[in-house]
Amino acid sequence: MLIYFLRRVALTIPTFVALMFLTFLAIRLVPGDPVEVRVGEHGISPERLAFFRHELGLDLPVWRQFLDYAWRLLHGDFGVSLATQQKVLTEFLTLFPATLELSFFAMMFAILIGVPAGTMAAVKRGSLFDQALMTVSLFGYSMPIFWWGLLLIMFVAVQLGLTPVSGRIDLINYSFDQPSGFMTIDALLSDQPGAFLDALRHLILPAIVLGTVPLGVIARMTRSSMLEVLSEDYVRTARAKGLSPFRVVGVHALRNALLPVVTVIGLSISSLMAGAVLTETIFSWPGVGKWLIESISRRDYPALQGGVLLVSTVVIAVNLIVDLLYGAINPRIRHGR
Amino acid sequence: MAADVILAPSGDEARSVLAQPSPLAAFWSAFRENRGAVFGLAIVASIAALALGADFVAPHSPIEQFRDAVRAPPIWQAGGSWRFALGTDGDGHDTLSRLIYGARVSLFIGLSVMSVSFVIGVALGLVSAMTSPLVDVVVTRAMDLIMAVPSLVLAILVVAILGPSLVNTIVAVTIVYLPRYVRLVRASALGELGKEYVAAAQVAGVGRLRLMLSTVLPNCLAPLIVQAALGVSDAILEAAGLGFLGLGAQPPTPEWGSMLADSREFIRSDPWIVTLPGLAILITVVAINLTGDGLRDALDPKMRRG
Repeated sequence: MLIYFLRRVALTIPTFVALMFLTFLAIRLVPGDPVEVRVGEHGISPERLAFFRHELGLDLPVWRQFLDYAWRLLHGDFGVSLATQQKVLTEFLTLFPATLELSFFAMMFAILIGVPAGTMAAVKRGSLFDQALMTVSLFGYSMPIFWWGLLLIMFVAVQLGLTPVSGRIDLINYSFDQPSGFMTIDALLSDQPGAFLDALRHLILPAIVLGTVPLGVIARMTRSSMLEVLSEDYVRTARAKGLSPFRVVGVHALRNALLPVVTVIGLSISSLMAGAVLTETIFSWPGVGKWLIESISRRDYPALQGGVLLVSTVVIAVNLIVDLLYGAINPRIRHGR
Repeated sequence: MAADVILAPSGDEARSVLAQPSPLAAFWSAFRENRGAVFGLAIVASIAALALGADFVAPHSPIEQFRDAVRAPPIWQAGGSWRFALGTDGDGHDTLSRLIYGARVSLFIGLSVMSVSFVIGVALGLVSAMTSPLVDVVVTRAMDLIMAVPSLVLAILVVAILGPSLVNTIVAVTIVYLPRYVRLVRASALGELGKEYVAAAQVAGVGRLRLMLSTVLPNCLAPLIVQAALGVSDAILEAAGLGFLGLGAQPPTPEWGSMLADSREFIRSDPWIVTLPGLAILITVVAINLTGDGLRDALDPKMRRG
């Protein structure tokens, strides 16, 4: 067990080192003078150029520069944003809860609808419901979510006025401290009546948009995995014992059918982060994805570099945790490798 | 001897009795069973025909600006005319023409990404599975790295370095989707390598290159073709996302994603300008995915879903 854990953890180290190298390389490949790229000044005087060259360590050999960079990263120094003059790590940590909250609600939307619907479709295989769900899920995972977001804004928010158009909370009516960074939690803690509901209303459309592709995938996955399980002997035995259909499907079958579904959910963190970039841009959701896009348009390369590194680190870490949990739950995985 | 003569059928008879349907015919009869897939293929074919014949089909040039008819409504709305059947956008471009030429751009991106990642993916996957362990570790780690960075974030990073353009979109999306091909080829090649026919070929003295390309590769093709088909739709979506963020093909290129981005400001006043490009993306991607599912069912019975 311990050996599996250690081996799995050790395997992420080269990936992380390669990630550091990639981001290190990336900012050197950006067109333009490296000093100007990093200091953000154009038409800089030769004296200041020499000063910053030395200051930034650009006069050192490349391998030294990389080691310095890695050293700083390992000490939590991810550089300073050109646009805000704030530490990149601080900015990331302020914005990340917003992305996390959005992702959480998106996944809840996808799972709470996708799993029951997929199970239903498998039980009533070939029925109208089954065919309809498969069509809907095909459209779900084929959806250009940036367009889907605009459509929902157009109809639900603008024409019907059911939800707000953008943002995380109505800033005119509500203001409170945000100790956790999660708007729903902070709204609950704030004791301001209506704040929690307002935060939820702001979450509805973005969560649907970000959850649409996972919903399609999860519904399909649950259905096919359920179909497989339903033809197993133990399910037939359970039926023969005279257990109610609900118990057979909901307890005996679903438990085993969900294993591959859980795998998909665990490993979807990467695609959620990619989707968050688009969703946050559409809904002006102040999270990490929108921040990355803004960093590009502001040519804020230190922020972009640090942001890409931090987002990817989160993905690597979550994938590692998911893998370790599987190892803990499923002995076959642990000993298989 | 006499019995042999009687039992052995003449050449023609043998052919008619033993004739197997050609692989293509067998594939088509399996593919045809799936009505959705045939429907998808028909739509893909029509879109491809529109893209190829855009010069003849499109009523206007996609980049000509009709200053007298900015944001003209489509035909089904009051004031719409056949001159601009689907209306015009904020710069007076004919939407229908831009959508038709946009099909060319999107299919070009999808097919380029697919073919480049197919070739590089096959090469890296085979080399990784069949040469030294060191190469295997390097390739596998590199692919792990690419997979660790969220797709769109990696594409954004690539575009930030190379600058936004149509070609760089293709480069960025190819890099993003490369690991899928490499891992697929590597895994199926490793699976094939343990089989006896490969050992037999090795014993017979088949060279390494020939072993890779003509012994092992053909047996890995089925899942690869399915991946390639579905990869086209993923590439189109990804590229449209980049276009929407302003990091893809630059104006006035009629790219569906950037058409959407340009029309965002008219979301309240002229919703159809926003609706149509997205619909084009959705229909294309759904059609390709339908076809890909049919391909999977026909080519690879193991992967057939319930």
